[in-house]
Amino acid sequence: MSGEYLLEVRSEEIPARMLEPGVRELATRVFEELMARGLGPSEVETGYSPRRLVLILNGVPEREPDREEQVLGPPVSAAFAPDGSPKPALAGFAKKVGLEPDQISRVKTDKGEYLAAVKKTEGRPSKEVLAEIVPRILGGISWAKTMRWGSGEGPWVRPVHGIVSLLDGEVVPFDLFGIPAGDQTVGHPTLTPEPFRVRSVEDYRKELAARSLEVRPAERRRVLLETMKSRAEALGGRLVEDGPLLDKLAALCEVPGVMEGGFHEDFLELPAEVLATSLRDHQSALTVESPNGDHQLMPYFLTVMDRPDDPIGRTRSGNEWVVAARLADARFFYGEDRRAGLAHRAEQLERLTFQVRLGSYADKTSRLVALATTICDMLGCEASQAAAAVRLLKVDLATEMVKEFTSLQGIMGGIYAREEGQPEEVWQAVYDQYMPASMEDRIPRGRIGQVVGLADRMDTLVGIFGLGLIPTGSKDPFGLRRAAQGAVRIALEGGLPLDLEEIAARAAVLYSDRLTRSAEQILEDLRPFLHDRLRYVLGLAGYAYDEIEAALSTGVASLPDLKARVAALHQVREDANFLTVVLAAKRIVNILKDAPEEQLDEQFLTQPAERDLYTAFQGLRSEVEEAAAAGDYERCLRRIADLAPVLDRFFVDVLVMDPDPRVKANRIALLQAIHRTVSRTARLTEVVVDKAEARSRAGG
Amino acid sequence: MRKTFQELILKLSEFWAREGCVLQQPLDLEVGAGTMHPDTFLRVLGPEPWRVAYVQPSRRPADGRYGDNPFRLGKHHQFQVILKPSPLDVQRLYVRSLEAIGLDLTKHDLRFEEDNWEAPTLGAWGVGWQVMLDGMEITQFTYFQQAGGLELKPISAEITYGLERLTMFLSLSRNIYEIEWVEGLAYGQVRHQEEVELSKYYFELADVTFLQQQFEGYEREAGRCLEAGLVLPAYECALKCSHSFNVLDARGAVSVTERVALMKRVRDLAVGCAKAYVESREKLGFPLLQKEEAVEVADVR
Repeated sequence: MSGEYLLEVRSEEIPARMLEPGVRELATRVFEELMARGLGPSEVETGYSPRRLVLILNGVPEREPDREEQVLGPPVSAAFAPDGSPKPALAGFAKKVGLEPDQISRVKTDKGEYLAAVKKTEGRPSKEVLAEIVPRILGGISWAKTMRWGSGEGPWVRPVHGIVSLLDGEVVPFDLFGIPAGDQTVGHPTLTPEPFRVRSVEDYRKELAARSLEVRPAERRRVLLETMKSRAEALGGRLVEDGPLLDKLAALCEVPGVMEGGFHEDFLELPAEVLATSLRDHQSALTVESPNGDHQLMPYFLTVMDRPDDPIGRTRSGNEWVVAARLADARFFYGEDRRAGLAHRAEQLERLTFQVRLGSYADKTSRLVALATTICDMLGCEASQAAAAVRLLKVDLATEMVKEFTSLQGIMGGIYAREEGQPEEVWQAVYDQYMPASMEDRIPRGRIGQVVGLADRMDTLVGIFGLGLIPTGSKDPFGLRRAAQGAVRIALEGGLPLDLEEIAARAAVLYSDRLTRSAEQILEDLRPFLHDRLRYVLGLAGYAYDEIEAALSTGVASLPDLKARVAALHQVREDANFLTVVLAAKRIVNILKDAPEEQLDEQFLTQPAERDLYTAFQGLRSEVEEAAAAGDYERCLRRIADLAPVLDRFFVDVLVMDPDPRVKANRIALLQAIHRTVSRTARLTEVVVDKAEARSRAGG
Repeated sequence: MRKTFQELILKLSEFWAREGCVLQQPLDLEVGAGTMHPDTFLRVLGPEPWRVAYVQPSRRPADGRYGDNPFRLGKHHQFQVILKPSPLDVQRLYVRSLEAIGLDLTKHDLRFEEDNWEAPTLGAWGVGWQVMLDGMEITQFTYFQQAGGLELKPISAEITYGLERLTMFLSLSRNIYEIEWVEGLAYGQVRHQEEVELSKYYFELADVTFLQQQFEGYEREAGRCLEAGLVLPAYECALKCSHSFNVLDARGAVSVTERVALMKRVRDLAVGCAKAYVESREKLGFPLLQKEEAVEVADVR
């Protein structure tokens, strides 16, 4: 094997979250710099553990390719006298490029004839190149947070302790923060701390394996997951998988050992959400559920240990000790909260600030009761359950459990509401209020939950926008983008025929004099903000940009309606006749640009083409209107597409700008009527048409 | 493995004394953590080397639980070590200190998990870990990067052992009050009454007006001391302010907005003291520097 480079940098424990990006940056930059020098390796492999970054290259060429470059010297006229005898400039140039004067050639350029020499640069050995670039790249890794140590060494992510840097078994020397690269490393700090020498990549792998060290994170993750699954099975249960947590555990060890522990069955009286959150947040532990599909947890947990075994059982007892203490805390909070009851906690919302200028959560609650009621009225549904859910909505913020585990907000309120005997729609509305938390997350389950979730988000958006605190760039401290996205998704996916602007206006009124801006000013900013989220959500659903724009342009009085229009456009846009109508619509808009509103009078329809267009239009107008009113936008658009042949002929045969002003006015009136009807679904002029494609389709 | 609270103190003291640490005594004022002891907060500033170890009773009034909660205390004890500059083998030294208290680390799981420390009221932050022994946090390990708003050079390593937790862990006790202080005498027998009464005082009885006056008074006094060039008394006054603030907070007498303002006032004092301390040491010629180090001071600052 030749051209094999092994780099291992040992340091004190690097934070789990920084390992993957750090090693990726290292590998990418080394690869790019080698490529730029013609030293691209055939294989790149990376690895890491909390204490090591590993980069393995294969097939690194032995040396850079030699380079030849032409060097221009002085003009020939300066180097030779007219009689052809050399002047000192010739010797000077020859000396500069390291050649004999008779090896100097000449080249013709635009500016005359010049002396020239071909300078050969011998490629450097890759060992030399690596020794130069590796320490620079290592030192320059952009860690999320850096530190200094000792007398000011650094900055780097953690103090560096050792470097193995070997090219085909030979040390590629350099130093990093005073630590010289060599061929020695160490094993696990407490289990196999003795230094050992490395001779090759193969040797390195063997030595690591002999010490049960695994530097490939994917392999550690695989081992952890497999072991945990089989342990869970052996316990008569099933592992509750948690991808992000497994990633983290795999980055916390270099020996992927699984720590299995248990807790007292009494703790199972805690809600499963609380158990899982406490175990995950405090002990980075996964849970085990019973295998019969009822998601009932079992009194076990599984986490990582950075060693293969637990020889005296202390690792297990230590972890169990901590878990018992944490669960005892959780049980204490649970008991306190249930004893106090949600009604009592509700009183504390007065003292919980929602936003300094927007008041407390008690203030928010009263606004939300009114806003949710308004939304229910808009939807024509009964408001009493929504109002009941709103009154309980934020109460869990005052509970001990949520103070301890903020990630349980909403969920905990839902659980307590359920335990207090609230109807399903009500407790689920509280439970689901922060959903969707991401694009992958689902929206609240029931209608009440959707209404309440929407009201909450609109209240927050209007309040913060009403103070002029509009998110810019990456700054969005109140999470308004997510709130807006949630609102849009709830209305879209919940099929709620609502006008968000109307709700926003109402929300602004409910703030009375707390806001510094008027409802109009707020809408001015909020409208494009909501539209951006809409574009994003619809875009992810597979609709094209122009389809969304076209539908948005005719208004957003109801989001499900908007979506139906986008979907219809998406369906018909491939239809050749429809494209003809789109092109005609663009033409009509141009013609109508500055035209005043005109009245149509049948008697002035003089030419056959315009009479045909009028007749055809009359024939489908009511059907188009009916289809649109029924929300059947596809039928609406397909009927409009039927106008294609007569529209085409109209534009061929008829000149709109007739010398007779009455005829001209009449034609404009006809086009205005047609334009109104074809724009019922979307502003067709927004649809992007490849004209050549449209023609060929029409022709075919 | 039966370990008492005081045996731990003795073993750790002995270990770090051997590493050349000044075996200091606790600060005789109320502080929230060993970091606030001037032998940490002020000594980590400037170019002078320093090694110190001490126990610091640490008061966190809001954590008091009337002696009822087996895991929480309003006053606990930290064993604090400062090594300045941080030696390259500081982690190894730390591991050896665990061996010194009787742990055979080939039989335990020891992990260093990211945990960066920040103390806004001290204008200080550092980078480091919480040390997890068999899944339990036993030590806070920090490389100080900034204190009193000043960049640090050299860098100090701070090792803070939670003595009660460590003893509990070693004896796998489920109740702080049941660990042994000395053989035959439980922690609770020594301290329970104090926890009960201090909780009662901090949560129910402390006079808010008096504490506010105390805060204002010590703040003024700190300013006067600084003007007179008396750094250490000024710093002690700042610590008094900090403690008054903590008690006011536990008493529920600090609103969210006041909180920010009060913390800023404490921070301003700490920053003022830090700056004045470095100046005062410079005036003295940084006496703890070796001769050849002193030459480099110009670079260092």
